[in-house]
Amino acid sequence: MNLVLRHNPIPDSPLARWDSRWKLAAFFFAVAATTCLNRLEPAAAALGFGLVLLVLARLPVSWLKVRLAAFAFAALPFAIILPFTLDDGLAIGLAVLARGLAIGCFVLVLIGTAPLHVTFAAAHRLKLPGLLVLLTLLAYRYAFLLFDESRRLRVALRVRGFRSAATRHGYRTLGHAIGAGLVRGADRSERVAEAMRCRGFDGRFHTLQAFAARPRDVVFFLLALAAFAGLVAWDRL
Amino acid sequence: MTALRVTNLTHRYAGRLALDNVSFVVEVNECVAIVGPNGAGKTTLFLRLCGVLAGTPGQASVNGHDPADPKERKRLPESVGIVFQNPDDQLFSPTVADDVAFGPLNLGASEAEARTRVDDALRAVGLPDAGDRVPFQLSGGEKRRAAIAGVLAMRPAVLLLDEPSMFLDPRGRRELIGLIRELPGTKLIATHDLDMVLDLCSRVIVLDAGQLHADGPAATILADEPLMTRHGLEVPPRLKT
Repeated sequence: MNLVLRHNPIPDSPLARWDSRWKLAAFFFAVAATTCLNRLEPAAAALGFGLVLLVLARLPVSWLKVRLAAFAFAALPFAIILPFTLDDGLAIGLAVLARGLAIGCFVLVLIGTAPLHVTFAAAHRLKLPGLLVLLTLLAYRYAFLLFDESRRLRVALRVRGFRSAATRHGYRTLGHAIGAGLVRGADRSERVAEAMRCRGFDGRFHTLQAFAARPRDVVFFLLALAAFAGLVAWDRL
Repeated sequence: MTALRVTNLTHRYAGRLALDNVSFVVEVNECVAIVGPNGAGKTTLFLRLCGVLAGTPGQASVNGHDPADPKERKRLPESVGIVFQNPDDQLFSPTVADDVAFGPLNLGASEAEARTRVDDALRAVGLPDAGDRVPFQLSGGEKRRAAIAGVLAMRPAVLLLDEPSMFLDPRGRRELIGLIRELPGTKLIATHDLDMVLDLCSRVIVLDAGQLHADGPAATILADEPLMTRHGLEVPPRLKT
């Protein structure tokens, strides 16, 4: 099974070697700065910057294509509708599309150049609440299992002759299957909680993930900071 | 020396009696099997012993701690470790190493100490290179081993294993039996795998409908066909004449 977020193995690149804490800090700043851009040219420059980062990350094109398309699909309505509704609609719509794609590029760089649990451990080191990190990691961990269970449930329905259709029986069966999934999920969450308590869980998040920043990690961060501050300044000129 | 003492242990789920006046003693380093049909109360007994289910104080003592005493419950994970039926319930961390370190870090071990324990525990279960792997990607047998490592890393005096051979193929089961045999400390194994009991346990306790029906040497109890049949069990093939 391959979840949307997963990409294995992580290609070796300068971005993969970048300390996750500094990378995450730069990511937050890049997203915030890109969100602030109003004009088309700086937004296009941010997109160009994002594409350069994707190239540097050496991520497989096949993996990127689908995910970038999803970001484009989300932002495309603005580029289509705004030209018909605003005076300067085309430029604004394209700026929204460029911003959406740029942020998409940053997200893909972030999740494609480090395992997700390392990024979350980095987020915890950057003072994101431990409980939030833990809950997100648990959700990510058990998403795999839920996918597996839903697949088994689908197979179980199929082998007994069920074909989904917009009929009363179809909706009822779907409702039962979703209900069974929810009950199993609740059951599992109780068992996981029991297993955690048995191992002394006290609500705090612990990880063995070690981080060691080198001078070049800080330099990369400062470069990203300068580049995006420059884009915001250009946008405001 | 006594590792575990259960005295008139009773437990109810919303009025339904799950354990009814169960009493037994397990000595240090003893390996005891708890057998019985589904719904006999085996898992409930384990959950009471490790303090997950609350109960009346004074009915159980594990390594000198009362699992029902809220003050002692916090220290209980140092004394008793439980390996659950389904390892997916137990392997909740993003990597195997993080999962094995979960217990020691919760108990206050330093990162260096936790790393040492992770290495030791993974080596003990035969997964020395699995630390960086994602639990979801492990095979059934590897998941079981990783789950055992997570408990071993806490170095408990008493180990509770709930249906350890469930979901395993014959080779995985055989390897697991070898592994459990090598594990140090007191072990309680709840299982339907009576053949495995003969390999590992010197003593058997028969539990049915929450009551203790027999307690004695494994070979004697498991060869008692009327007893086995009465409690929904079967004499293992190798004891049949």
